[in-house]
Amino acid sequence: MLRGWLLLSCLVLGSAQTLLDRAKQIMKVTPVIDGHNDLPWQLLRKFNNQLGTAEANLTLLEGTHTSIPKLRSGHVGGQFWAAYVPCDTQNKDAVRRTLEQIDVIHRMCLMYPQDFACVSSSAGVRQAWQAGQVASLIGIEGGHSIDSSLGALRMFYRLGVRYMTLTHSCNTPWVDNWLVDTEQEQAVHNGLSVFGKRVVQEMNRLGMMVDLAHVSVKTMTDVLEISQAPVIFSHSSAYALCPHRRNVPDDVLRVVGQKRGVVMVNFYNDYVSCSKSANLSQVADHLDHVKNISGYQAVGFGGDYDGVPR
Amino acid sequence: MRQASTVPKLLSLEPLQTREVPHSHCTSEQLFSPMDVFKINISIIFKIKPENLFLWLLVLLPDVLASATDKMAEGRAVELMKQARLIDGHNDLALQLRIQYQNKISRINLMNLPTTHTNIQKLQSGYVGAQFWSAYVLCSAQNKDAVRLTLEQIDVIKRMCSEYEELEFVTTSQGIVDSKKIACLIGIEGGHSIDSSLAMLRVYYDLGVRYMSLTHTCNTPWSETSSKQLYSFYPHIDGLSKFGKEVVKEMNRLGMMIDLSHTSDSTARAALNISKAPVIFSHSSAFSVCNHPRNVPDDILQSLEKNNGIVMVTFQTQALACGTDNVNVSTVADHFDHIKKIAGSKSIGIGGDYDGAQSFPKGLEDVSKYPALIEELLRRGWNEAELKGILRENFLRVFKEVEKVQRDSRSMSVNEDEIQPKEVQNSCRLDLTYRPHKPTPLEAQPVSASSGIPSVLWSSSCLMFLSLICMIIY
Repeated sequence: MLRGWLLLSCLVLGSAQTLLDRAKQIMKVTPVIDGHNDLPWQLLRKFNNQLGTAEANLTLLEGTHTSIPKLRSGHVGGQFWAAYVPCDTQNKDAVRRTLEQIDVIHRMCLMYPQDFACVSSSAGVRQAWQAGQVASLIGIEGGHSIDSSLGALRMFYRLGVRYMTLTHSCNTPWVDNWLVDTEQEQAVHNGLSVFGKRVVQEMNRLGMMVDLAHVSVKTMTDVLEISQAPVIFSHSSAYALCPHRRNVPDDVLRVVGQKRGVVMVNFYNDYVSCSKSANLSQVADHLDHVKNISGYQAVGFGGDYDGVPR
Repeated sequence: MRQASTVPKLLSLEPLQTREVPHSHCTSEQLFSPMDVFKINISIIFKIKPENLFLWLLVLLPDVLASATDKMAEGRAVELMKQARLIDGHNDLALQLRIQYQNKISRINLMNLPTTHTNIQKLQSGYVGAQFWSAYVLCSAQNKDAVRLTLEQIDVIKRMCSEYEELEFVTTSQGIVDSKKIACLIGIEGGHSIDSSLAMLRVYYDLGVRYMSLTHTCNTPWSETSSKQLYSFYPHIDGLSKFGKEVVKEMNRLGMMIDLSHTSDSTARAALNISKAPVIFSHSSAFSVCNHPRNVPDDILQSLEKNNGIVMVTFQTQALACGTDNVNVSTVADHFDHIKKIAGSKSIGIGGDYDGAQSFPKGLEDVSKYPALIEELLRRGWNEAELKGILRENFLRVFKEVEKVQRDSRSMSVNEDEIQPKEVQNSCRLDLTYRPHKPTPLEAQPVSASSGIPSVLWSSSCLMFLSLICMIIY
């Protein structure tokens, strides 16, 4: 009996190491594209976007979830960098602040050309992989960044932005955010307003992905109804496993699967386990759940590193 | 450009239908003077009765004879312009598209738009080969929504240039040379559009903007305008501040031309002092001919010659004739003659300011009339080389040299300077010293990445140890 258990332990431990090796082998060929990383926000907070200072050296950076060595170890082949500005900038200087974040992302690519390639197409992502660089793309996190202007939206597209999260944690004049599904706020637009639908249509026309992380459930269903292109959730997990309103309920997951979208699972403990601590297995549970409801082709990673504390 | 001399009576316009925004104190009203709206010319047709025809002929005979000579000069002017199509430094059609049509260009036909100085057919008749379109927003948007409004103007210009096959958007000197269409370029009119942010300069450059006028009719926190009376922004600014000099340096590094139209003489002198690249005046004339604050005094013209820059003479009547009623092509030509005398013909170009200014000289009423000016200069003895210079070669020289300075600056770092908060504080500028909503990632919980010992080594060691145990047991 004892021999049996010990033999089993040997086999299990041996195969565990092999699984990790297998994972790494897979990722060498197919590195991860992560849907959402807030390093640019940390660069603003910690260094005022002064990439030239010694402390901001991305090869030696400490105190953040993200650095160049960590991206390499994690086999990250593509990263959407969030050009995020707080909701407090709405109706103030949101547009300028967002453009400054786009500028810092562009400068990251210029300053570290061996490691980053700022790209704006799927072909560009593949080219970056071949050149051994992390394909760097830009997402705007919150419709407040466009100040209700389709002209501004088009200019963001020209600057390389390839997704926009329709809200952060505040309503815009044309769409409701996730907080209206809690007791904290009341719905204002009941999903998308008339202008909100124009925004989605224009995003489809331009080829900018519609990101439904942070939006209310009604917004999710409105967008899924009218969007002619597949949508994404750049950093959201499964509501059925952790009933946090930042997560995606099963009925929405089903439609996402049918419409060939992707849910990029968020690793933030509070959204994974609905508590302050979580483990890797619980994250995997979310991946399994999205796979079960929406199909494996609807699953992705959206770690939210450097955007959340745990 | 807008009227500078009087405080206009203001009208409010309908907000864009595509914006449903609650009004906040950071939204500018975009109030335009009635004078800003272009007045449609009414043509009067005279009917001639046959019995008066002989009398009419006698009256008209001297004009008929003179016109024969004129026709020769006109013919030469047209031939010249066919070979050397004009590069015009400044046109405000985009402003009219906003005022009159809320930027909804799908509803109009730019080929023959009748309500503006500019349409495509007139540009073709005027032998315009390249046009800098002004992305202008009112100074009342400063410290409010100037950035968003400027983006919208850039957007309408780009849409206009892509939707008509007669137009072609370019961003380089070579692009202008190669284009067989009307080349479109963009200039921003007023430093308030960058909201005191060097990142905004870079963003505008990425969007294709190739010049910025450092001011319009208001001071920015870092540069002084020539129009003191219209707005009360930053009254203590004199010339260029320390940050203003950084703006100029970053424009040099990027390859964005520095436009000194609308700036004060102090600003112009400061910019000329530090710029490594030639500068432009996209639409200004000669102060010695008409002492209007928008015009360039002789000492600055002389500095401009040394700088290898260009002044693109403008046709706005108030800047040409200082109150004289009879303003015509000859008045404009006087400015050309004067600047040639002071700074050489190589320092001259043309920046009509159509659809921006209110009134234009007789004979230069719209963008189809440029040949009339070339005709007048031919009559005054300007030679072909000089005329090709003012039409395009002088500007291309400046643009190429600006591009060379950009190439030579490749090893320079990006300018990460910021304006001091106290210079620019206002209620629409958020202070991010506190951190709302986005939790700080790592201050509460330090990230432990790898412990430093590769996991493979750990698992290998464990495996070996367990294997040893297994072997012993068996």
